[in-house]
Amino acid sequence: MLQELLLGKLTWADIPFENPFAMGAGVFMAIALVAILLLITFMRKWSYIWHEWVSSVDHKKIGIMYLILSMVMLLRGFLDALLMRGQQAISAGHAVGYLNPSHFAQIFSAHGVIMIFFVAMPFMFALINLAVPLQIGARDVAFPYLNSVSFWLTFVGAMLCNISLVVGDFAQTGWLAYPPLSELYYSPDSGVDYYIWSLQIAGAGTLLAGINFVVTIIKMRCKGMTLMKMPIFTWSALCSMILVALAFPVLTVTLGLLALDRYMDMHFFSDFSGGNVMLYVNLIWAWGHPEVYILILPAFGVFSEVVATFSQKRLFGYTSMVWALVVITFLAFIVWLHHFFTMGAGGDVNAFFGIMTMIISIPTGVKVFNWLFTMYKGRIILTTPMLWVTAFFTTFAIGGMTGVMMSVPPIDFQVHNSLFLIAHFHNVIIGGVLFGYFAGIIYWFPKVFGFHLDEKWGKRSFYCWVCGFYLAFMPLYIVGLNGFMRRTDHYDNVLYQPYLIAAAAGACLISIGILFQIIQLIVSIRKRKQFRDHTGDFWNARTLEWTVSSPAPIYNFAFLPTVSTIDQFWYDKERQIGEERIHPQDIHYQPIHMPKNTPLGFIIAIFSGVFGFALIWHMWLLVCIGLIGMIATVIARTFSTDTDYYIDAETVKATEIAHFKEGVHA
Amino acid sequence: MSVKKFLSMTLIVLLLLSLTACNHQMGILNPKGIIASEERKLFFDALALMLIVVIPVIIMSLVFVYHYQVSHRVKDYKPNWSHNLYLEIIWWTIPCIIILVLAIITWKKSHELDPFQPIPAYKEPPMLIQVIALPWKWLFIYPKQNIATVNYLEIPVNQQVEYWFTTDNVPMSSFFVPQLGSQIYTMTGMRTRLHLVAKNIGVYEGMNTQYNGNGFAGMRFQAHVVDPAEMQRWVTKVKASSNHLTNQTYHQLLNPSFSEPPKFFAGTPDDLFNHVFMLYMMNTGPNHPRENTNKFHQE
Repeated sequence: MLQELLLGKLTWADIPFENPFAMGAGVFMAIALVAILLLITFMRKWSYIWHEWVSSVDHKKIGIMYLILSMVMLLRGFLDALLMRGQQAISAGHAVGYLNPSHFAQIFSAHGVIMIFFVAMPFMFALINLAVPLQIGARDVAFPYLNSVSFWLTFVGAMLCNISLVVGDFAQTGWLAYPPLSELYYSPDSGVDYYIWSLQIAGAGTLLAGINFVVTIIKMRCKGMTLMKMPIFTWSALCSMILVALAFPVLTVTLGLLALDRYMDMHFFSDFSGGNVMLYVNLIWAWGHPEVYILILPAFGVFSEVVATFSQKRLFGYTSMVWALVVITFLAFIVWLHHFFTMGAGGDVNAFFGIMTMIISIPTGVKVFNWLFTMYKGRIILTTPMLWVTAFFTTFAIGGMTGVMMSVPPIDFQVHNSLFLIAHFHNVIIGGVLFGYFAGIIYWFPKVFGFHLDEKWGKRSFYCWVCGFYLAFMPLYIVGLNGFMRRTDHYDNVLYQPYLIAAAAGACLISIGILFQIIQLIVSIRKRKQFRDHTGDFWNARTLEWTVSSPAPIYNFAFLPTVSTIDQFWYDKERQIGEERIHPQDIHYQPIHMPKNTPLGFIIAIFSGVFGFALIWHMWLLVCIGLIGMIATVIARTFSTDTDYYIDAETVKATEIAHFKEGVHA
Repeated sequence: MSVKKFLSMTLIVLLLLSLTACNHQMGILNPKGIIASEERKLFFDALALMLIVVIPVIIMSLVFVYHYQVSHRVKDYKPNWSHNLYLEIIWWTIPCIIILVLAIITWKKSHELDPFQPIPAYKEPPMLIQVIALPWKWLFIYPKQNIATVNYLEIPVNQQVEYWFTTDNVPMSSFFVPQLGSQIYTMTGMRTRLHLVAKNIGVYEGMNTQYNGNGFAGMRFQAHVVDPAEMQRWVTKVKASSNHLTNQTYHQLLNPSFSEPPKFFAGTPDDLFNHVFMLYMMNTGPNHPRENTNKFHQE
């Protein structure tokens, strides 16, 4: 009785001691964790970590933490990809490869979940956190404490997903956990429960962050920055965050209903007793399709900033660009059915959703032409961010083309679920989203860390990534057209094998690209003095974030800026306005009102993690502790009045003088 | 630039390879049925329409990036040129026209190639085959011929066949013979339909495309397209077998199995197909209909 209350369904049998991959990964994670903890202890950094990072409500630090989370999870998700590519490269004919079907299923499910929820989403929030408040001339986001809650919830969701490696299983259902496979009858293990609760927790974090940024962008723009004078990245973030605020509640409800099915024997989506499988499929895509636009829109924003900056020319057709974003945002909600034309909805429904889908290609195409004509008659500096953009044009054009082809329902009947589809969406998600985020992080890196990244290693990694990408995914189009289906763990026809070996080689090339990125980071950190950005405007850029020092001071702007045009900073530089800068010694600074750090966001998230883990294993006592802990912490915070402080004028002055001196000496 | 050139060359070579490779393989680009032929044509029409924009975009992106580099010192630098009504009208209009054309085609073809609808060119009533997706195998019932097969489909050439689909004791699956055309989901308590005509005699790969558990990869069959006389001989031969599909043998089929070899049955229980999908549709109990007899999940 007590054991059941405390441990629920969890027993020693749930630890996969016999599985070398899971155990290896688990042991590796444990060693890494212990090493990090020891290092922190050894360097006596616990207080620093706790006060400056865990408790931080500073959007810049939260952005960095999102970035680290995303990079770590990228390694995990990419290892899954390598395992899958390796498996398919060898499991032809009578060979069955090194992964049994259920392990293979866990890997492809985890790969999808991790790459979307714990790599792409945190990466996006990293960029938005790092850039948006600075771009709109604000000192922080609208709700700094909520921002910290959002990050830690995402973090806990990711950790829950990682725990499933060693304790129990992960879902064996694919990344969207279609019922009835995800129902209790077909999947009685803990896997789908891990899926549900890690996504519920991370999803709640995402929703809160989305609301936070909508409010930030609407309410906290600096004086003079009307909506049509906002930097285009901020516009893309606004559209994306509106999508988050509208779409993520759908995810929460859908997963909630699935949880009710599994925990309370309800029958929303079961395949008997009145449940409706296609209801889930509709709901999950009503969230899932906006989700891909949530990811791509900020990437579009990055491309717009990077193209304009490195072409040293104004973004072409700003108004068109904004309207294209808005149209895409709207259309994102009325195309979800194209993910399951094959359910047999009939000509009218299929044709409607097919046509809506292809209409999205119009504003997207317009954006591409505007980027091209931003480069036209510009002066292009081929730095690494610009290289990523260049590669993006080709990959995205191919990915977009195959996407429109699949939006024609009868074509989709032929390629649905095949590797053609897999190649398509990797083409847009890697070639569009990831390339964009890479460009973005290299572009804003000097602003965030105060020194730029090594260009030489950056270019090497770029070439490996791009070549590896084509080698890995073009063969998948071919085998897809030849009837090779996704999620196949072994196949009889050996004619597929050469293509899948090529794809595996491509994945290896990408891993070299990742290795070079790690080297790039290490080299850059070692040479950080030499790579220091003294002026704060490392790229000769156009928007407000480049007017402050690198890294930006904690208060961002000593005086809130005023703008009267798009790209005010560029406009000023062009006319030499403010060239004769007043020495900060002669400026009268004001104390600055700032939010105080608080560890409560972290504590709420930890309780939510306890709550989620306990629910997965039906440890009802622990469920109560987690739930009460969460609610109590939230309430406790509402009684706290000690939430803000002032940075005194002298500190501001000293900071500004230091930056001024550095700029002069540079 | 050389790297980009190399990349685009590799890409073109790969694409060409794919097209040649498909001709002697079992892909959708090598259709053997009239639906698949239509869909292949549609595939290339859509591809051609898209290439009208995609090729110029790729070329322009590479040329602009190359040409306007700082080091090339192009005189023509217009840092503040950011608006041109005519240009913008052009690139709002061209995609609109292309998508309009594609949309008209899509509307027409979505109705023409709707898998539920009979193929108008074939007037005589289609032959019916009822298909039940079972844990990692396909059961084909020929109600009129009163025979059934597992993981083996034989159909006459040049005759319309109407397939009905449902599922029993396995998650949602998807029936697909790429060279004949159009896949369709199969679900419990539902009846989905598909109309196909095979144009060439031969043996084609059939499969499930929707992941539905550990035996997914082996849930395959071969579709044998034969001339009607041969079909008749085959039916007679199967009918002569002593192996009957009874309720008992059907219950054995409900147990999960991997890569099941073909099986042939003479005689089927009355109205098995309708019985199966009504079983799920009318079910109101707390347990899965097969939970006590044929558990899907094996410990």
